[in-house]
Amino acid sequence: MVSGGNASSLPLVGGSAEPTIRELSRPGRRASKYPKLDVPEVDLNHPAIKNEKAPLPEVSEHDLVMHYSRLAHRNFAVDLGFYPLGSCTMKYNPRFADYVASISNFSNTHPATPAEFTQGSLKILNILESYLVEITGMDHASFQPPAGASGELTGLLIIKKYLEQQKLEHKVDIIVPDSAHGTNPASAKMAGFNVVEVATDERGMVNIEDLRSLVNENTAGLMLTNPNTGGLFEEEILTISNIIHDAGGLLYYDGANLNAIVGVCRPGDMGFDIVHSNLHKTFATPHGGGGPGSGPVAVKDFLREYLPGPIVTKDNEKYDWYKPKFSIGRMHGYHGNFLVALRALVYMKLLGKEGLDTLGAYAVLNARYLSSKVSKYLPLAYDEPCMHEFVATVKDLKKSHKIKAYDVGKALLDKGFHSPTIYFPLIVEEALMFEPTETQTVETLDDLAESIKLIVEELSAPGVNLADYPKNLPVGRPNELIPAKHLTVHWGDFELLELTE
Amino acid sequence: MFVPHSNIDLNIIFEELKISSLDDLFAHIPDELLINNGLDVEDSLSELEATDYFEDIASLNTSSLTCFAGGGHYDVYLPPTVKSLTMRPEFMTSYTPYQAEISQGILQVLFEFQSLVCDLTEMELANASLYDGATSIAEAISVAINKTKRDNIVISSGFNPNSKQVINTLIDSKKFNLQYVELENYLFPEDYQFTDEDAAFVVSFPHYEGSAQDLTELVKKAQDMGIITVCYVDPSMLGVLKTPGSMGFDIVVAEGQSIGTPLSFGGPTVGWFATKKDLARLVPGRIIGETIDNNHKKTYVMTLRAREQDIRREKASSNICTNQTLNAIGSAIHLSWMGPEGIYQVGYQAIQKATYMKNEFKKSGFNLKNDESSLREFLVETKVPVSNVLTYMGSNGFLAGIKYSDNELLVAVTEKRTKKEIDDYLKLFTEVNNG
Repeated sequence: MVSGGNASSLPLVGGSAEPTIRELSRPGRRASKYPKLDVPEVDLNHPAIKNEKAPLPEVSEHDLVMHYSRLAHRNFAVDLGFYPLGSCTMKYNPRFADYVASISNFSNTHPATPAEFTQGSLKILNILESYLVEITGMDHASFQPPAGASGELTGLLIIKKYLEQQKLEHKVDIIVPDSAHGTNPASAKMAGFNVVEVATDERGMVNIEDLRSLVNENTAGLMLTNPNTGGLFEEEILTISNIIHDAGGLLYYDGANLNAIVGVCRPGDMGFDIVHSNLHKTFATPHGGGGPGSGPVAVKDFLREYLPGPIVTKDNEKYDWYKPKFSIGRMHGYHGNFLVALRALVYMKLLGKEGLDTLGAYAVLNARYLSSKVSKYLPLAYDEPCMHEFVATVKDLKKSHKIKAYDVGKALLDKGFHSPTIYFPLIVEEALMFEPTETQTVETLDDLAESIKLIVEELSAPGVNLADYPKNLPVGRPNELIPAKHLTVHWGDFELLELTE
Repeated sequence: MFVPHSNIDLNIIFEELKISSLDDLFAHIPDELLINNGLDVEDSLSELEATDYFEDIASLNTSSLTCFAGGGHYDVYLPPTVKSLTMRPEFMTSYTPYQAEISQGILQVLFEFQSLVCDLTEMELANASLYDGATSIAEAISVAINKTKRDNIVISSGFNPNSKQVINTLIDSKKFNLQYVELENYLFPEDYQFTDEDAAFVVSFPHYEGSAQDLTELVKKAQDMGIITVCYVDPSMLGVLKTPGSMGFDIVVAEGQSIGTPLSFGGPTVGWFATKKDLARLVPGRIIGETIDNNHKKTYVMTLRAREQDIRREKASSNICTNQTLNAIGSAIHLSWMGPEGIYQVGYQAIQKATYMKNEFKKSGFNLKNDESSLREFLVETKVPVSNVLTYMGSNGFLAGIKYSDNELLVAVTEKRTKKEIDDYLKLFTEVNNG
């Protein structure tokens, strides 16, 4: 193998555990120093003040730096290797965006600063809005939602408010495919809707007949991602949108899979009324170990006044905040994850027309290539051309050798790759979902396919103990029962457990 | 850009796929949906050009206003050590730690974050972050509703108006009643009568206006009625102020920006959420637990996963998925950097300097609304419209505060402010008010 992921993702030294910062603490040590008080000191008598000091760790700055650097060494990352993680779009995060996000005028501005002193920040949001609506085929956007799930909830609250304004409060059903991301039904429930599940047909797409049978006067809308979570383009999308619109419902586009279609086609042209984008997926902002993201919501013109606000307006080169007339309210304390939005704009400007026009195409190209290679060793869930991701299944190996999707994922870790997404979508048995993104080389894709081949051979060999995988990492498979049963969620909890048992 | 393929690579791929162009990939998409002639956007910029482009836009923001605004976001000193460790690419470019074996770094830092938040607030269980302070309050209210099955929320009016808007948006007003209680002399009325129909008592410590009170008795009264008590706390003051845990609160939430994150125009920051273990199964978001691996080695892993949306779908405790992990990492490292003495200085100096500033305001003949009960943040009456004050002082290098009403300004002081900055502020403030 030549792609190098294996070498760089293993820890530098040995396998011993890293102590916690509390275990490194010694009384009297400190990293911080503050200036001497330069105003006259007075006695502070206030009922809210305590006498004792906060029980924080006491460490030297060198100890602090070594500790967190060593922990960083125990972590896989996009900068170290390949994440073929379906639905997550773990592409390269341009370093240049780090620089722009660190410009003091952007990063050190208080969110309550009046618009007259923050014209630059407002301009960033205004330009980014123009890019987003062009890419998605919508008209206006709000940057308040700090993540995709918040964007979903925003979209659903917009649907709700819009229907209320139209005196259509009886419309309470949101239709969600059985293959949808878990956030879809969770968000619909939070917005106060009934969740109605539509089935997937044998080709892997929305079952149109089932959809027709579920749609009625109570239909408020449909949540859909296209391509869907099986990585397939919903070829009947125009029929689907007609069915929903004819019933007076709205179409919500879950932007989790937007990377597949940037420059290829647009949700707005498919009939969607509301779109959220995951800037931390499609537009290459770093995922931060689980966040921050940003989930701006874009809408067609007729929904502009429902957006969460304030939103940015532009008048004669002057930018200002505007609160939409029927706004659903606020989804964030201030303006959403502004610095994430800024990074996304940096990425779009670096890509420009030529890069954005071909973004989806290259993402699909890599997925199609990887699926062709992987399908030689594992059957694919659907016999259809994939978009930016595809689903393979381990169900045959499970029958013949008791090998589960989970085991293949764990064995891949040993080879220097992140696991693909496993057991998703829920409708595919023993699913492994691969999304290579456009930033991986042919060699890396070949290496991954080769690793799958080796793993299938290795795990099928007689006498293999599947639970031993992964073997070459700082820790092996964790015991997940202990923390769930004993709530060992704070340092000291586990020691206490050991003392009592 | 960022696509690695050379023509040689493309030939290899095209041959494998038996296609001759990128367009061939989309033969199955209806023609009427395909974009003709590409997107209507500008050509790409090189990094050199983009540097100019973005620095020009940045220069449209007024540079380095000396910050006397608070309201939840504070200009606390953030050392480069904390920033550079937080921005290590292994943290910054990693995914959610579902694969524990290759994510022990993130998992352990988040476990330390949870533990530090618990120690600082005197609670038992913290999650691995929520979006921000405002959304965390709404999540806490949801927990209280789920726990008590009641529908009346008693909430102090002493919150940032933006936070109230977030709460009003996220809590369904058709099903639940948000009962805002007016402060009296900038404090929550000690004689407030709770009822057994109340689900939650939600209060800010200090209040938005900067005043603070010992909330122990109110918490006790609320709990006697079976109410879940929620404290929204300013975490950068916890080196000096009583802990929410010591006052008996069931849930603590916070805007964590001042611990580990630059002001960032308000985002990304981080919401903290901590509680008691008996509410564990109602907690929103991810939780990291300590365990052992198959060789009995210390291991960290995401736990209580059955609450989360990817497993429970519409029955989940919250829809949150992507959170603010990197900012939580920043919080953990900043807390460890400060230590007990550092976080004490941050709180103590802020109060001392605010006290000096309040005295100077009074000497200059200005009226303070909550002099006695306030700590690092307070309300001052202006003689001209507040917006005039903000514009004048902004044009002279100061963010004077946050508009509270047409003639009241909310002023915040952090440990970073110097006597000279305070004196200069007062000079400008006097100028604009006395005309």
